[in-house]
Amino acid sequence: MSKIDPIRLEVMKNAFDAIADEMALMLMRAAYSPIVRDSMDYSTAICDAFGQTLAQGVTTPMHLGSFYDAMQHLMERYAGNIHAGDVFIGNDPYAAAGQHLPDIYIVEPIFHGDTLVAWTTTLAHHADVGGIVPGSNALGAEEIYQEGLRLPFLKLYDRGVINSAIWEIIGLNVRVPGMVHGDLRAQLAASRAGQRSFGELISRYGIEEVLACAEELHDYAERLGRAEIRDLPNGTYHFTDHMDGLGTSPEPIVIQIALTIHDETISVDLAGSSPQVKGGVNTPLPFTKASVYTALRSVMQSEIPNCHGFERVVTVTAPKGTVVNSVHPAPCGARGITGYRIIDAMFGAFAQALPDRVTADGMGGSTVPTFAGVHEDQAFVFTETVMGTWGASAGHDGQVGVPHMGANQANVPIEMIEATYPLRIRRYGIVPDTGGAGRTRGGNSFIREYEYIGEEEGVMSLRSDKRDFLPHGLFEGGEGTGPISILIQNGQETELPVLVTEPYTIRKGDVFRHISPSGGGFGPAKDRAPEQVREDVEAGLLTESYARVTYPHAFQGK
Amino acid sequence: MTQLNDEQPKLRIAADIGGTFTDVALIRGDLTIATRKVSSTPEDYARGVAEGILELVEVEGLAPSDIGEVMHACTVATNAILENKGARTALITTEGFRDVLEMRRIRVPRLYDPLYEKPPALSPRKWRFEVAERLDFQGNVLTPLDESSVLTAIDAIKAAEVDAVAVCLLHSYANSEHERRIGALIKEHLPNVFVSLSVDVLPEIREYERTSTTVINSFVGPPVKSYLDSLRERLEAAGLPPKFFMMHSAGGIVDSRTVVAKPAQIVECGPAAGVIGARAVMLEAGFSDAIAFDMGGTTAKASLIEGGALVRADDYEVGGGISLSSKLAKGGGYALKLPVIDISEVGAGGGSIVWRDRAGALKIGPHSAGANPGPACYGIGGTEPTVTDANMVLGFLNPEALAGGAVPVTPALSRDALSRVVAEPMEIDLDRAAYGVHELVSTVMTRAVKSVTTFRGRDPRDFAMIAFGGNGGIHSVSLARALGVSKVIVPPGAGVLSALGLLYADIETSASLALLKRIDQVDPDLVRNSFQSLSEQVATELSRELDGVELVFEADFRYRGQAFELPVPFDDGLNLTPEAATRIRGLFDAAHERTYGYLLAETPVEIVSLRVTARVQKGAGSLPEYLRRDQTPETTRSVYFGPDWGRVETAIIDRHALSTGDRQGPCIIEEYEGTTIVPPDCTAHLDAKGNIIVTLPVAAQATRHEAAE
Repeated sequence: MSKIDPIRLEVMKNAFDAIADEMALMLMRAAYSPIVRDSMDYSTAICDAFGQTLAQGVTTPMHLGSFYDAMQHLMERYAGNIHAGDVFIGNDPYAAAGQHLPDIYIVEPIFHGDTLVAWTTTLAHHADVGGIVPGSNALGAEEIYQEGLRLPFLKLYDRGVINSAIWEIIGLNVRVPGMVHGDLRAQLAASRAGQRSFGELISRYGIEEVLACAEELHDYAERLGRAEIRDLPNGTYHFTDHMDGLGTSPEPIVIQIALTIHDETISVDLAGSSPQVKGGVNTPLPFTKASVYTALRSVMQSEIPNCHGFERVVTVTAPKGTVVNSVHPAPCGARGITGYRIIDAMFGAFAQALPDRVTADGMGGSTVPTFAGVHEDQAFVFTETVMGTWGASAGHDGQVGVPHMGANQANVPIEMIEATYPLRIRRYGIVPDTGGAGRTRGGNSFIREYEYIGEEEGVMSLRSDKRDFLPHGLFEGGEGTGPISILIQNGQETELPVLVTEPYTIRKGDVFRHISPSGGGFGPAKDRAPEQVREDVEAGLLTESYARVTYPHAFQGK
Repeated sequence: MTQLNDEQPKLRIAADIGGTFTDVALIRGDLTIATRKVSSTPEDYARGVAEGILELVEVEGLAPSDIGEVMHACTVATNAILENKGARTALITTEGFRDVLEMRRIRVPRLYDPLYEKPPALSPRKWRFEVAERLDFQGNVLTPLDESSVLTAIDAIKAAEVDAVAVCLLHSYANSEHERRIGALIKEHLPNVFVSLSVDVLPEIREYERTSTTVINSFVGPPVKSYLDSLRERLEAAGLPPKFFMMHSAGGIVDSRTVVAKPAQIVECGPAAGVIGARAVMLEAGFSDAIAFDMGGTTAKASLIEGGALVRADDYEVGGGISLSSKLAKGGGYALKLPVIDISEVGAGGGSIVWRDRAGALKIGPHSAGANPGPACYGIGGTEPTVTDANMVLGFLNPEALAGGAVPVTPALSRDALSRVVAEPMEIDLDRAAYGVHELVSTVMTRAVKSVTTFRGRDPRDFAMIAFGGNGGIHSVSLARALGVSKVIVPPGAGVLSALGLLYADIETSASLALLKRIDQVDPDLVRNSFQSLSEQVATELSRELDGVELVFEADFRYRGQAFELPVPFDDGLNLTPEAATRIRGLFDAAHERTYGYLLAETPVEIVSLRVTARVQKGAGSLPEYLRRDQTPETTRSVYFGPDWGRVETAIIDRHALSTGDRQGPCIIEEYEGTTIVPPDCTAHLDAKGNIIVTLPVAAQATRHEAAE
């Protein structure tokens, strides 16, 4: 290939990044559902003509590299039949190499004259795509058919003409059509913005130069990745993590990682992970790969471009039919939790090679309660991703009020929830006497308590984890605490399973109380500085009686 | 009531505090401008301000009594936050929500960083107290205020010996009674602490943003108050008028005495002053749409002026650091939801260090060599190449000295540094390397411009660019080219435009309240009465009668179900007939379509909040004429303008050498305040006000890069 001016390459890389970010901002501002506009559970990217990501907007890390497989699928299916003005839509994990059904792709080719030169792609988590539970995260689904509307890649627009049938089918199959259509429009708006900006880039630099730089960008990212890996100690590092399991009698689900660093490349094998399960936590391989990429990027120190070239230095393998490489018809609506656990397990493996670059185990991803029903004559679905707490690191205490590394998501303002849904938040804040003990402490738990105030019956369900397998500490640091999820109905307290497979009926006055897991500690508790212990007590993060038991050295002679 | 214009014959003077210099500007009796740069005095900023003003007054042969008004912008509030030197601040909040401030909105500004640490809460947990009370979103009382819990909190606050208290209760935007009662109790029991109630500071929905803004207000309150008091004393002692005006972050000026009630409003006053100056320049030059581009030593800033109006940011954070993708990567600073001009910032300035990453790619900043050790060419210890060094190698900068002779330079040091770090390892020609740096800086800065244009659905090609700040004239044409902008305006005194901006600002303040009603269902009386009370509030803040101010009525609208709003003028709100409601809805649909490319004719539109801005025309009106100085003789030097042109013998001229009409580039205009580059394919002329207007070739951006390299 031609030698590219390295300066022009950097210029173009910035331009690609700016387009992906522009699309992301456009999508967020035009979106409707709290999960897109507040939690930012969506991604945008520019792909080259081969469907390789050139730049991805800075939104959801766990979507990193997720476009590639879907694009391969799409291009194979429509070979010879892709035209200017086509807009593709799809969501199916098996028929479209997607993620899970709520994640709908909108993909549009960019033409220069008659030549396909690139793609704008967006992926957004929609509030509902039908199926047996509102929000379409059916943990209890046994087959994907129960999870909602499945779309292979279809042409939503064919040479600029909308196929209204698809639009209407979607509208009829989801519980909140206004919201889903609104978010799809936001995706289309973002796609249009990306098309326009990419066109400007071509007219400024010329098509040859843009394409040459695109090609070189992948090589550049690969070089950067190789340079980073070269500095890591060679070896194979194993780690086994678990999810508590599904429903009222949970069976642990194993996530097993063998991470091999060999000179300039990394291979990750997930053999030994549990067989796929009859419940929506299976992940198709593209999502497993995306999760591995996220963990890997997090321990690297360079600013590596979010482009496909980086993925060339990593090989991810997992046996078919496992929870980390599921096959049809395994359901995968709530596969996010499995992705979080893959990232956590990767950090567990990396802790052996790079103890200074990771934290002890944290909350393990978001807790996701879903409330649904009818309010003021309209169907509503309220889902939020509740995060988060980290384990301690070598340098500082675990952070509280932070997202998981896999998903940089926001909380939903309490005042917005109460102004929109028949819910009241009774309490939101830090819980004392939690967080694994250590030289640096794991982040505290926090509580979020919901009261249902709707006049009509509603339903609720829950996705959480880490009750049986607590967040681990590092280097003699203590374990964090597990989650507490209680449904209070007429004064009766019911402890909910971590992964609720059958939604609960809720009535006015019912309260759902969630206390999050807390993070693991780092280093022995006896090494914690006494003045830090006193500050924790002063701040009310620890009670004095708890601190005296856990950090007796801080109270000697007092 | 004070009449603000009754001291007409006296002169107006402005002082803007920057990190290194305090700029002072004065409009003389003949309507020309005099400026002065003096060192800032961080140990007591007021001293530097008073001294700088006196210095300029003396140089101009005036007496302090000739000065009628002092306009001011300072960094006291910003520094209090950035350096964590604000007041010891307590927070009183609703039971169950002590940690809203600390949980924030969860998002962090850096992806892929497990070792990230959140900025500490400005009111630490040990000083945050809960009281028993609860409202719902309509303002209905679910739990009455338990005054004994308030008194318990007040006792604890007294024991903590804090300087300031913030009060923010859940849903208080819908009913202020509980907060007001708590405010009264604090006043009674703690008469000497600084108190902010969220209902006074920001009565809008979203608890974290409202709490954070209120806490910031309390945190900066005592330092701002003591600074303003000390400045007042200094001015008075110097025989200057003790009454002075402050710029706020939205670009208006207010009486300094009213700033004390809402000190958080001056956090971004310095950058705002620059944008106000740019707007004045642009309107005079006959443009209504422009990008204000301000490049200094450490950062570059961009802001949009559209139809002559400023654009407000709705997602501002203070102290968030400089992030390339700041619009997406939130959470690094403290949410401040008061009106702020939308200014985006990137870490690229003259002092930004040039380096290469592990894969060999060229990078700029965000580390800056600052003034010390400075760029390599200063020869005072800096060994790493900077953007200024690249410009030196290219011949853009005077090879003997910068800043009118004040900073001697050694170009060989620039060449050595750039050869070592860029040219040799990349095996490229030194000129090409230096030009690469110059080009790359432009690309990095395009992000700042894009985040206020394309990211908001605006096309930068529809705008002119006003370049200012020490490095604005050097990089603006390259930046304009990368964006497709065809006109660049470099005003006289571009290096002190922020101080000049203070002289052109109007007296202005605004107030808002939350509504959250459908436009087609809202009670017209509610809207009118709300606007009426907001109007009275802003007029009172300006110490004016209602008929003495110009009022601007506005509302934030959204489609039901969306979370982001768009502001639309709302004069119709005073008399909201069904026809008016339909009309305003149409305006919103149009604004939405322009920004997002679609509208939803069937979806209900909600009024989220109402806002009234009161304005008193105060600005200097017409800009002063550019004062001719003695012409310096034209010289030439060799300048590298990129691979297309190579090295070209280039005329080095004075600003008024352009007054005879369009001059074809290449030429470089060297002045005390800065340097302006006119590449070979551009032309430049001077307008009647002394602005340099650089015109880029329209076809250039399409063709010039086709040359194979």
